Amino acid sequence: LTFRTKLLFISSFTVAGAVALVTGAVSVSTRRSFERIDRERREAMLDQFRRELDAQGQDVIRRVEKAAASPGVQQIAAGAAEYDRAQAEADAASLDFLDVLQPDLTIISSAHWPARFGYKNDWQIAPEDWNAADAFLTRIPQPEGSATALAAVRPAAGGKGYVAGARRLSPEFLKSLGLAPGLRALLWLAPHEVVDAKGGVRDPEKLDGLIAEVQRSGRQANGVVQWTADRSSSEAFVAFPLSRRGRLMGVLLAGASLREQIALERSILWTGVLVGGSGIAIGVLLGWWTTERITRPVERLAAGARAVAGGDWSTRVDVMSQDEIGELARAFNHMTEQLLEQRERAIQAERVAAWRELARRLAHELKNPLFPLQITVENLQRARHRPEAEFDEVFRESTSTLLAELANLNTIIGRFSDFAKMPRPQFESVDVNEIVRVVMKLHDARFRAGGRPKIEPELDLAAGELRISADGEQLRRALGNLVLNAMDAMPSGGTLRVRTARQDGGVRLEVSDTGQGLTQEECARLFTPYYTTKHHGTGLGLAIVQSVVSDHHGKISVASQPGLGAAFIIDLPGKQGDPL
Amino acid sequence: VAVSVLLAAGTLEAARRPRYGGELRIETRATPRTPDPSEAAFLSYVFETLVRLDDRGEPEPWLAASWTHEPARKRWIFTARQNVKLHNGALWAPGLISVADDQPIEKILRDLARPRNAVVVRAEDGSPVGTGPFRIARWEAEKSATLTAHDEYWGGRPYLDRAEIRMGRALPEEALDFELGKADVVEIPITDLRRFRQRGVPVFVSPPSEILALEFEGTLANDAIREAVALSIDRGAIYNVLLQKQGEISGALLPLWIGGYSFLFATERDVSRARQLASPPRTLAFAYDRQDAMMRAIGERIAVNTSEAGITMRPAAGTTADVRLERLPIISRDPWLALEELASLLKIPWPSAAGTPYDAERVLLEGFRVIPLFHLPDAWALSRRVRNWPHLADVWLDARETP
Repeated sequence: LTFRTKLLFISSFTVAGAVALVTGAVSVSTRRSFERIDRERREAMLDQFRRELDAQGQDVIRRVEKAAASPGVQQIAAGAAEYDRAQAEADAASLDFLDVLQPDLTIISSAHWPARFGYKNDWQIAPEDWNAADAFLTRIPQPEGSATALAAVRPAAGGKGYVAGARRLSPEFLKSLGLAPGLRALLWLAPHEVVDAKGGVRDPEKLDGLIAEVQRSGRQANGVVQWTADRSSSEAFVAFPLSRRGRLMGVLLAGASLREQIALERSILWTGVLVGGSGIAIGVLLGWWTTERITRPVERLAAGARAVAGGDWSTRVDVMSQDEIGELARAFNHMTEQLLEQRERAIQAERVAAWRELARRLAHELKNPLFPLQITVENLQRARHRPEAEFDEVFRESTSTLLAELANLNTIIGRFSDFAKMPRPQFESVDVNEIVRVVMKLHDARFRAGGRPKIEPELDLAAGELRISADGEQLRRALGNLVLNAMDAMPSGGTLRVRTARQDGGVRLEVSDTGQGLTQEECARLFTPYYTTKHHGTGLGLAIVQSVVSDHHGKISVASQPGLGAAFIIDLPGKQGDPL
Repeated sequence: VAVSVLLAAGTLEAARRPRYGGELRIETRATPRTPDPSEAAFLSYVFETLVRLDDRGEPEPWLAASWTHEPARKRWIFTARQNVKLHNGALWAPGLISVADDQPIEKILRDLARPRNAVVVRAEDGSPVGTGPFRIARWEAEKSATLTAHDEYWGGRPYLDRAEIRMGRALPEEALDFELGKADVVEIPITDLRRFRQRGVPVFVSPPSEILALEFEGTLANDAIREAVALSIDRGAIYNVLLQKQGEISGALLPLWIGGYSFLFATERDVSRARQLASPPRTLAFAYDRQDAMMRAIGERIAVNTSEAGITMRPAAGTTADVRLERLPIISRDPWLALEELASLLKIPWPSAAGTPYDAERVLLEGFRVIPLFHLPDAWALSRRVRNWPHLADVWLDARETP
């Protein structure tokens, strides 16, 4: 990622994060406020339900007392009425359920289930209910199931019987609660009936989890029910168990619609998204402008640095400001100026050193043949006074010596001339492995020559052909120089290893020996023309190698430590024109 | 004073004596489509049989005055009653009446006493003509009929001039018409007997004339389940409370007064045994006439009883029911005739090898395909002027009572 991109990301994330943080905090705060208000409303509804239940219970008690005092029930209790007479009494007292019972709870007449006469009443009536002042919740069996009802029991016919009457907990009961807007009460009645003030409830199975929780724990439970795919249809419920003697008779569900809360949360969310989006857009623009001002000089500096790395030490960058970036640009310009001056000085020093070395080597090389020439000429001058025959002898020997030494001088001058006249390479497709084999074969006789310690050649060539575009003759000459150099480095014998390998589309050629090795200083100056560590030679061998490698746009390096041999590594490109 | 007393006594005596004349208004649930004697009981007063069963179920001569056996011809020869006139005034002269003697004479006589074997003569216009004390003056199929007195009836003219019969009436309609004075004789459910009696309304209760039974269909309920149902029903509670002790508890098809052995069939309740037989719990589709208050009450009670044994009786339509609560008529005082008819109604093969009605009934009730519960009487509410009900030929109207 570029610095500009990073800066944009940072500014965008900062804005978005801040907005998200604020939005989240506001949403959480809003939700908590709604939940607190809903909880208070539901608790108020539960209180109202309990009060209404008490009022309805008193009403049931009054109706049961009225029925117990009626002549019809007196007749039933006395066995003087038909078995289904209780229906009329229940209608008269507006009771949904009515059983006229014997003291042992045997049903004499049942209004809601006439066929049950003679059976025991099973409303979970306990002896304390018979004269109890309070009504109680109970489940009443019916032919088609059972119903939850508010019941009361009163004695009848002077204690000869009892009347158990009840009213069903129904939607009408829920209507009487007078709920606040957004709030509603549901009544779950075992086994599967769910009603609200309007009657049946759609998809009552969605409440199963909450009901199951109440059934399992026997305690109040909370939950949220989403009625449709739309989240705004969600409703938060508190389920309140209606139990008697440990048996769950029903569950009151106080529900608060989450529509307003969810709408507000959505509004906050969209506001946050809008603000965040706008902030991000503004941040991007501002960041763009800022980074433009910051990164453009940096990019110019980077371009200048790349130019310097490419060899253009005269590169300069514009100083656009007086701030840290401007200071950096000025420092860069100063650095390139210094580099240029130092390079000029280094070139001059190198040039002087090279001339000195050349002069020393020339002096050394020319001095050796000149001294015999001087001695021979002086001998010839002294022999001029000798007898003719003796002079002829001296003259002959002297001219022979002069000619030999002049030929030697000529050879020395020819070598220097050859180096000066290194031809341009003629590129063609060559197999480096093949060149290695040819060179090693040429020197094979020398490796095994008698009178000197044996040198063991080793070839480690890449499989197949290693074809590159190169001048085969020059490569052979360079490799030959390296082989000769390695042999000279191993006067006591050793192993000469030549290795080839494919390297980044080109070829790596490595010639190593097990000789005495080189020092760091020797390694640094090794490729300087006319520099040699040997007692013989012109110091042009490795310079020629470097010249060949350079003309092939390659690179040569040496790795060595004293006593551990040396390795010359040549990297050549596969195609000319592609610098490594 | 003496004269006045004598006159008053004479008037009182005259009032007690039957008198001729008047119209009797009868309502019934029966809906005969044709004046076939086998379709409605009142048609036995229009079309008579050669032989009739008396109150003890014994055959007695009726249109046939006597019968003799001719071994040579292997036939029974029936002698027609003299001076019997048809409703159209013609003399009934059937000529020689003979029946092959391939069956015992008792069975021949019982067959001849069947309503379907009544003497019906076709008039020239094809209408049926009988010999009974009443003739059909008007016939509207399934709705109403008017019977008028047959003045030349061989047994003597009936007291009534006319009987107006409204057919296909529901019990509540009959009760309403009776309360409004539009009917003299109406059928009432036996569960209303107490109410009518408490109000002082004259009622007539016949000997048990129909059987209330559970009839199983299909294979859902096997022998064990059917027996469990039979053992779970509390007949006593139903008899005492719902039937108000009318009729009789029975585990037999024939009532005691006809068969004489119904007490030999068990009616005791055994819930624990029933629960064993019904394990695991089952549900049966149960049908009964929900429009009939008595049937509905008994059906609901049976459902409560069987639930104790683990058998749930789910109300169902008659066509899809596994078990149905039926009222089956006992058409004859003769046990053989009555049993044969019940077997036919219940679609149970007749055990021809049975030597006695008891044996036949034991075979019929094997496997609890039918569970007899109660024998029920017919009950009528009568207006105060009706006398001598239910024998229509002997009924007369007391002039002192207003219709």
